[in-house]
Amino acid sequence: MKRSFFAWPYVVWMIVFTVLPLLFVAYYGFTDATGALSLDNWREFFTSGDLKTLWLSVRLALECTAVCLVVGYPAAAFLAGKDMSRHKTLFVLILLPMWMNFLLRTYAMRTMLQDNGLINAFFEAIGIGRKQMLYTEGAVLLGMVYNYLPFMILPIYTCMKKMDRRVVEAAEDLGANPLQVFCKVSLPLSVPGIVSGITMVFMPAVTTFAISKLLGGGMTFLIGDMIENMFMTLKNWQYGSTISMILLVVIIASVALLRKVDPDNQGGGLW
Amino acid sequence: MYDEMRLIELKGISKNFGDTQVLRNVDLYIRKKEFLTLLGPSGCGKTTMLRIIGGFEFPTEGKVLFEGKDITDVPPYRRRVNTVFQKYALFTHMNVFDNIAFGLKLKKMGKQEIARRVGRMLELVNMEGYEKRWADSLSGGQQQRIAIARALVNEPEVLLLDEPLGALDLKLRKNMQLELKAMQQELGITFIYVTHDQEEALTMSDTIAVMSGGRIHQIGDPKKIYDEPKNAFVADFIGESNILPGVMPEDDVVEMAGQKFPCVDEGFDKNEEVDVVVRPEDIMVVGQDVGMLAGTVESVIFKGVHYEMMILAGGYRWKVHSTAMQPVGSEVGLSIVPFNIHIMHREAVSGK
Repeated sequence: MKRSFFAWPYVVWMIVFTVLPLLFVAYYGFTDATGALSLDNWREFFTSGDLKTLWLSVRLALECTAVCLVVGYPAAAFLAGKDMSRHKTLFVLILLPMWMNFLLRTYAMRTMLQDNGLINAFFEAIGIGRKQMLYTEGAVLLGMVYNYLPFMILPIYTCMKKMDRRVVEAAEDLGANPLQVFCKVSLPLSVPGIVSGITMVFMPAVTTFAISKLLGGGMTFLIGDMIENMFMTLKNWQYGSTISMILLVVIIASVALLRKVDPDNQGGGLW
Repeated sequence: MYDEMRLIELKGISKNFGDTQVLRNVDLYIRKKEFLTLLGPSGCGKTTMLRIIGGFEFPTEGKVLFEGKDITDVPPYRRRVNTVFQKYALFTHMNVFDNIAFGLKLKKMGKQEIARRVGRMLELVNMEGYEKRWADSLSGGQQQRIAIARALVNEPEVLLLDEPLGALDLKLRKNMQLELKAMQQELGITFIYVTHDQEEALTMSDTIAVMSGGRIHQIGDPKKIYDEPKNAFVADFIGESNILPGVMPEDDVVEMAGQKFPCVDEGFDKNEEVDVVVRPEDIMVVGQDVGMLAGTVESVIFKGVHYEMMILAGGYRWKVHSTAMQPVGSEVGLSIVPFNIHIMHREAVSGK
C-alpha cells in the first residue's frame, strides 16, 4: 500500500474546506449581484475610501509586528538562557495567555482599559487622572500585541535554543565584545526565528476583526471588520469576496517577501 | 616582572559547579612555545581548566596570570589566547573565508591583508580553494582544519585546543596529530591541549599533566610520565607496556613474536589481528631451555626495586622488569603466565 493513501482524508478535507470555498470566493469576487462577470467591485475598492481601510489594517499590523518583535526578542533571548525545567513558572507565565480563549483575553483587556477600569483607577491614585483609553487606535494595537506576542516569542525562543552556545564563545574568543557577538553572530543566527515570528504575527494581525470591534468600538474600522460587515450585515457577498481576495494577495506578497530573507525556511512553523 | 619561563600561571585554582568541586587547588604553569597536554578521563576537570584559561569560566578560588599579570577577571575577547573548540563551533551563517577572517575583521585590518592572511592559513591547513564553501557543507576533518585556521590566523600567544580530534576517525586523527605538532613547531606558538587519549598525549606533547578528580596527579615530559608514573592512577592511565601485534587463531591462544601463547581471552574473530599488551613486570626471566621464548639481553638499567632489561626474543624487543639482574649479552628464556597476557582489539589501543 502506498503511503500517499494515508493522505487521502486530508486531501478530501482540503478540497471541501479550502479549495472549493476559495473557488466560491473567486466566483463571487468577479461577478455582480446578477451573477454576470464583472470587475465593478474591484474598481469600487480601489477608487473608494476602502483602500484607506486596507492601509490602516496593514499599518496597524506592521506596528503590532514591530512592537511584538521589540518586546518579544529580548524575552525570547532571556528565556533561551534559562533552563526550562528549573524555571517552569516563567515559561507558564509566557504561555498562559495562549491557553486562554482570545475573546476572553480581549474582554479582559476591555475591562482593564475602560474609563472606570483598573488602569484608570491606578492613574487616578497616583494623580495623573483618568484617561480615555478604550475605543482608541492605541487600545486596538495593545489588544493585538497582547494576543499575538507569544507567537513572536516562541519561534525566536526555539531558534535560539537550538543555537550552539559554543558559537557565541567562539566569537568572544576571537575578540568580539558582547555587542559585536550579538550583531555578528547571535542576531544573524536567529533570523529564521524572527522571520517565522513575523509571519505568525503579521498574518493574523492584518486580518484582525474582533479585537478592533471590542477595543476600537467602531472608531478603528479594519479590513477584517469590513469583510465581516459585508457578509454578515450588508449581505454583499460579491464585494466581501473581492476584499477577501485582495487581502489574500497582500498576505501572499508578504510571505513571499519574508521567504527572500530566510530562503531555507529554517524557522519552520510555530515551533 | 615575571618569570620568562612562566607565560601562563594558574595559582591555587578551585572551581565549584553547585556542590561538585571540579578543580581542587590546582597549580600549573605553562612555558613559552611549550606543547602542554592536560590528560585525564572525562570528568577530571581538564576542560574546565582550559575554559578558565580561555576566560569562559571564572575560578571559584585562585588566580590566572598571563606574563605575570592577573587576568582572572579579563573577559575572553580581551585575552591573547584563541581556542579550537571540541565540536569546532564554526559560524554556520558564514562561508569558510568569513569564518577565518572573523577575528581579523574585528581588529579592523585592511581587506588585502585579511585576504593574504586567510589565504596563507588555508594553505597551512591544506584547504586552499575552499574560501566560498559554507561551513556546514564540510566534512568533520575539514571543519576541524577551518576551526584551527580560524584560531591561528589571529597569531595568538597561546592556542587552546579542547579535544579537537575527538570526533575524527582513527586514521585521520593520527595524521592530524602529526600535522598539529608540526604546525606548533613551525609557528612557535604555545599549545595547551586537552585530551583523554594517552597515546595522543604521548605523541604530541612536550609536557603532560595527568589529571583526575580535579587534581593534577603528575606533570612532566611524556617519557617521564610513561616510565615513572607517580601513583596507581597514572600507572594505570599511562601503562608501561610491551605492545606487540598478534593474531588470535582460536580462543585462549594468541600468536605473537612467532610463537603461540596460552592466554585467557575469548570472543575474538578467528585469526583476528590484535594488539597484545604485556606489562614489563609480568615477564619472568627463566632458564633458556625452560622458557617459552629464547632471547638475548641487550641492555640493563637499574631502577631501584627492579632492573629494566631490554631482551630481544622472537624478533621483538621486550621490556622486562625483574629483581634479578641478567648481564648484557646473556642468553635467557622468557615466560608469561596466561593471565598476564592482555589482548585488545586493534582500534582499542588508541585509548578510547
